[in-house]
This record gives sequence, C-alpha cells and structure tokens, in this order.
Amino acid sequence: MFKTWKIAYSLKNTYRVNSILYALKQIPLLKRLLPEGLYRVRGFKILANILSGLWELVTVFLGKALYFLTLVCGIGILYEKVLPREAFLHIFLFLTLIGGYMKTGMFGPTRDKYYAMMLLGMDARRYTLSDYAYTLGKTVVGFLPFTVIFGLARQVPLWVCLVLPLCVAGVKLTAAAYTLRDYEKRGKAFNENKLEKHQWILTVVLLALAYGLPAVGIALPFWASLAVLGIFLPLGLLGIRKVRSFDRYREVNQQLLFQMLHQMDEAKTAPQMVSRKAISADTSVTSHKKGMGYLNELFIKRHKKILWRASVKIAAVCALLSCGAVAALLLFPQLRGEVNALVLTFLPYFTFIMYALNRGTGFTQALFVNCDHSLLTYSFYKQPKFVLKLFRIRLWEIMKINALPAAVIGLGLCGVLWASGGTENPLDYGVLVVSILAMSLFFSIHYLTLYYLLQPYNAGTEVKSATYQIAMFATYLVCYSMMQVRLPIPVFGLACIAFCVVYSLVASILVYRLAPKTFRIRP
Amino acid sequence: MEFVIEHLKKSYEKKEVLKDIAFSFREGKIYGLLGRNGAGKTTLFNCLNRDIPVDSGSFFLEEHGVRRDIKPEDMGYVLSTPTVPEFLTGREFLRFFLDIHEGTVENPRDPEEYFDFMHIDSEDRDKLLKDYSHGMKNKMQMLINIISQPKILLLDEPLTSLDVVVAEEMKQLLRSLKPGRITIFSTHILDLALDLCDEIVLLSHGELEAVEKSNLDQGEFKEKILSALREDSHV
Repeated sequence: MFKTWKIAYSLKNTYRVNSILYALKQIPLLKRLLPEGLYRVRGFKILANILSGLWELVTVFLGKALYFLTLVCGIGILYEKVLPREAFLHIFLFLTLIGGYMKTGMFGPTRDKYYAMMLLGMDARRYTLSDYAYTLGKTVVGFLPFTVIFGLARQVPLWVCLVLPLCVAGVKLTAAAYTLRDYEKRGKAFNENKLEKHQWILTVVLLALAYGLPAVGIALPFWASLAVLGIFLPLGLLGIRKVRSFDRYREVNQQLLFQMLHQMDEAKTAPQMVSRKAISADTSVTSHKKGMGYLNELFIKRHKKILWRASVKIAAVCALLSCGAVAALLLFPQLRGEVNALVLTFLPYFTFIMYALNRGTGFTQALFVNCDHSLLTYSFYKQPKFVLKLFRIRLWEIMKINALPAAVIGLGLCGVLWASGGTENPLDYGVLVVSILAMSLFFSIHYLTLYYLLQPYNAGTEVKSATYQIAMFATYLVCYSMMQVRLPIPVFGLACIAFCVVYSLVASILVYRLAPKTFRIRP
Repeated sequence: MEFVIEHLKKSYEKKEVLKDIAFSFREGKIYGLLGRNGAGKTTLFNCLNRDIPVDSGSFFLEEHGVRRDIKPEDMGYVLSTPTVPEFLTGREFLRFFLDIHEGTVENPRDPEEYFDFMHIDSEDRDKLLKDYSHGMKNKMQMLINIISQPKILLLDEPLTSLDVVVAEEMKQLLRSLKPGRITIFSTHILDLALDLCDEIVLLSHGELEAVEKSNLDQGEFKEKILSALREDSHV
C-alpha cells in the first residue's frame, strides 16, 4: 500500500511541479529569461519541488487555521448569549457534518486521479485507499494544533481538543461508508463537487443550525455536541471495515472522472458556446451599407441580445434607481445632508461601477469568436487599411453602446445632487455628466485597444496572452482601489476627463502604428 | 511567374523549425508539400501568410524577371478546419467580400454564378454560416479564396475531413484552378499528393527539397518519398 501511495504521490507531485514551471513560463518578462528546456533543469525542478512541498504544508495547516479563525471562532465570538465553549463545539459539530459529505477525501474527482487510474492504469482500489488514508491522516494532523489552540482559548478541556480531530475523521469515514453502500444499492457515484438539490438543502439547514441557533441564544449543551461527535468514533471504525472491503472503486472513479472530463470540456468551450448562442438566427436582418460598414452593422444587429439589449436594460435599471433615490430625497428631507456630502465626494467610486457595467469585454470576445477568429485567416482582412477602418467603426459602435447607461447614470447623479440640496458650484453638474461619460469612453477605448494590440486569442479561441490577462487584472485593481478614494467633484472629475482624453490620444496613436502588425491570430 | 523563397528561417526559442528554406515554385503547377508531424509545414504556411513574423529571409514573386513584394491579395490560404464568420449567411459573406474587392476582382460574376460553380444549393445560400455543414463551410472558404484569383494558393490539408463526393469536387476544382497560379498543397496522405500534385516537395530538417520523379514508376516514386521521409527523425 505504501508503495502505491509513493508512486501516486510522486505522480501528483510531478504534475504539480510541472504546473508551477508552466505558470512561471507564462509570466511575460520571466519567460524570456527562462531556458527552453526548463522542465529538465535540476535547479528549477528543486525550486518547484520546494514550492510544491510548501503548498502541501499550506493545504495541511493554513486552510485549517483560516477555517478556525473565521468560520468556527471568528463568527462564534459574535454570539454573546451562549457560553464560548458551547458555541465553539456547536458550530464545530454542524460544520464537521457538512464537511463529512462536502469534503470526503474520496469522492472528489481530480486530474491527478484521472492520470493515475485511467491513463496509467494504477489499481483503483489500492490507489483510492492509499490516497484516502493519506488525506485522513492530513486531516487529523492538520486539525490537531488548531483544535488545541482555539479550543483551549474557548475553555474546551484539553482531552476534548485532542479527540476532536479523530471525530472529524470518524464523520468522514462514516459518510464514505454510507456513500459506498449507497453506490452498491443504486449504482450511482456521489460527486462531492456536484451536489444534488437535496444535498444543498441539507447544507443550508445545517448552516442555519450552526449559525442561526446561537444567534438567538440557543446552542446545544456542551455534552450533547460532544456526545454526537463521539458517536462517530465507533461509527468511523465500522466505516473503515466498509471502506476496506468495498471492491468497486474502479467503477466509482470511472463515473466520477468521466463527469470531471465532461465538465472540463464544457468549461473550455463555454465562452465559445455563449458567443455562438448570442448570434440571432433572424436572417431577415439586413444592412444597406457597404464593405466594413456592412460587416459591422450585420454583426451588431445579430448580436443585439448581448450588446444593445443588455445596455438598454442596464440604463433602465439605473434610471429607475435614480428616480427612486430622487423621490426618497424629496420625501425624506432628513436624508439630504448626508447624501449631498456623499455625492460631492463619491465620484471616484463610480470608476468601479462604470468598470463593472462596461460591455467592452463581452464585445471583444464576441468579436473574436464569431467574427475575427475566422476572418483573420483571410489575407484581405489583415490589410492595414481594413484593420484600421474596422477599428474606427467598432470603436464608435461600442462607445455608443456604453454611452447610454453612462448618460443615464450621469444625469441620475445630477438629479440626486439636486434633490439632496444642490451644490454651490453649478459647474459640478456638468463635470459630473462629462466625467461619467469620459469614464465610459475610457473603458470602451481601453478594451478595444487591448484587444487590437495584444489580440490574446489563439485559433482555438483560448486566451493565450499573459500580458493581456495581467492588463485586465491591473484594470480591475486600479478600478477597485478607486473605491477608497474620496475627492470633490471638480478635482476628480476634471482629472478624470483629462486622463481619458490623453489616454484616448495615446491609444489611438498606438493602434494606428501597431495594430496592423499585432492584430493576428496567436499561433 | 515564380514564387521564390530565399533563406527563410524561423525558430521557437532554440528550436530551429525552418532552418533555411530556399525554393522556387513555378506557375501552373500544384506542389504537394509533405513532411513528418512537427516538420514545420503549418509554420511555413503561417510565415508565408504573414501570420507570424519570420526571423530572417524573404519571399517574393518574380514576373518576367522583375521581383516584387507579395501583397495580401496575392495570397489565398485555405485551412483544414474551415473558418467562416458564423453570424453571416453565405450570400452576405460573399457580398461583403465582393464589396471589399470592388474594382480589383477581374471579371466579377453574379453571386448566383459563384454559388452554382461551387455546387452550393440555392436553399443554403441564405442560411447562417453557423448552420452550414463542414463540407459546405469548406466550399465557402475555398470560394472566397479563389474569387480574387490569388497568384499563390496555400492549402493546409483541405480535403482531409471531407466526404468522398465533396473531396472529389474539390480535387477537380483545384485542377481547374491550376493555370495562372502556384498552388501549394500540404497533406499527410501520400496517395492524394501523388494523384493531385505535379511536383512533390519535402519539408525535412527545416529545409525544402524537391523529389525528382525522373523515370521512376509510381511505386518506385512512392518508395523514394517514403525513404526520404523516414530519414527525418521528427515524429
């Protein structure tokens, strides 16, 4: 059994080490420095092995530490009406029950299991049992320090703290034995990553019991929680017998791993499917334009669902919210002062809102999957004059689509500002509308420019540019950090307008200079 | 007219895929490009179609002793997996293409004539391309690539996944398109290459090399090609 575990673990580790090296190779600057035969360089292998070992330690301890810090004790501290040790054990009990079937250690299909049992044909029973024993061992070892540290802090006796990790293993073993017996009866393997409706309902009920009861001052008596957990010690021992005697692990894993592969395929093709489904089947749609204008108009009309219709919906919701806010301010004058102060300094916050509402990424994805992916294989389409002409047409189009909700939000904010008592500087109204429109303009240009300059997709419509992903993440980070900024309307608004103008100019120059060369399908 | 490639090189990191491509292709012939898996056939086509930049070397057209750069409209590239804009109907795609090439296509014909020429049924002409079968998409891709009468036609295994009827139609079409242009046809099917192509060119060790038929019969010629390919250690 140990030999099987050793082979399986070294396989898993190789897979992990190679994933780490592959990830390093995707980092834009680093990839030039790393040698071509990266996977055979001993030094890199050792480095990746150290990282992999650290990751193993993290999975053993860090996850548990966070679990106790937040879910068990973090929330537990909030309950003042129940004794600390009762709250601790009460929450611990119900969460452990949930973990019994949501983190079994046996019924979660993963890639390394697929490689070991399906591709390399390892004995499924031996593999599963050795892997399961290791996982259970990790659970007990990982839990022990934290049940002791956090348990003692919540006045739980030491002997109880020492027994709790074994109870967790007992719950998992009992759940595994029950699941295996169920498989023998029904022939359907349980997948912990794909819970069924009744299992979700059970989870919600258990969560409600875990956190809801202590909130109203009810917690299971200490001895009762302990007794329930204690029952799982003998039950777990019985479970070991079932787990060992079960002989259909190959079938169970085959079912689970097939589901996983199917899910992975679905996840891979999901963006393509979404984009393809977005094409309207209405062939009565026509255009009287010519050339690139003709192509673009048909594209926009056949993608109404994800472009204009989505934009109109967002605009309508924003209009409703704005009207509601204005009405509330008129009806409840006591709100005005605070809201007025907020609106006057909250403009930076809207960078994130405009980021979240922007249709730019959906537009570029549909552009690639449904249009450029195919047309870029034709040489006429890559002629600089056509690339730039289409860029201009598309930019105008996406700016119009994004401008509608932006205009509504800008006007809505003006309405709220007016209803909350107005401003000393009437220029604020103008700055508010223009800066929100400028933000929308910025995002439209930003996404389309990134798309034209970095063209991140390959022929299989997968994103293959780490630079593009980093740029997208950086956009998110900047917008997110803007939520923390508080500046008066004229200061932020004028700075924002100036930035958008400069950015647009720079982006246009870059696109005109570089896009005819960069706008290609990635090999 | 000749299509001349001189000392073309392309490497991925330290791996030299195309070491020194030098070859002259002549007008009116179909060249069968053969090579082992990973020999670099698609890389060569991508370089010639300017989808990926070359490291060094050049390629140009030579007409009546005058060299000139290759313009995008000189090149047609048909991929094994047909790629057509799925949100357009067959007729719209054709109209868009004719719009773009207004004034540059010699003797443009009526769209219906083009569809008839490609054996695309009238009820399919106004269907969205996403609803076309593989074979029909392939026909559409081929049609777009031949309307502008490119001087060079690159074909990357275009017949591999077609049914026998469409494959035969395509073969006839390629034979009829031969005059006035250079056709380079990449394939893994040796019999197809021998049946369709006038010349066989091997891509091995990153170089192009013609296989002379001389006075060999079909069987001997086939054996000569196979033994040359076996020498290439790429798998």
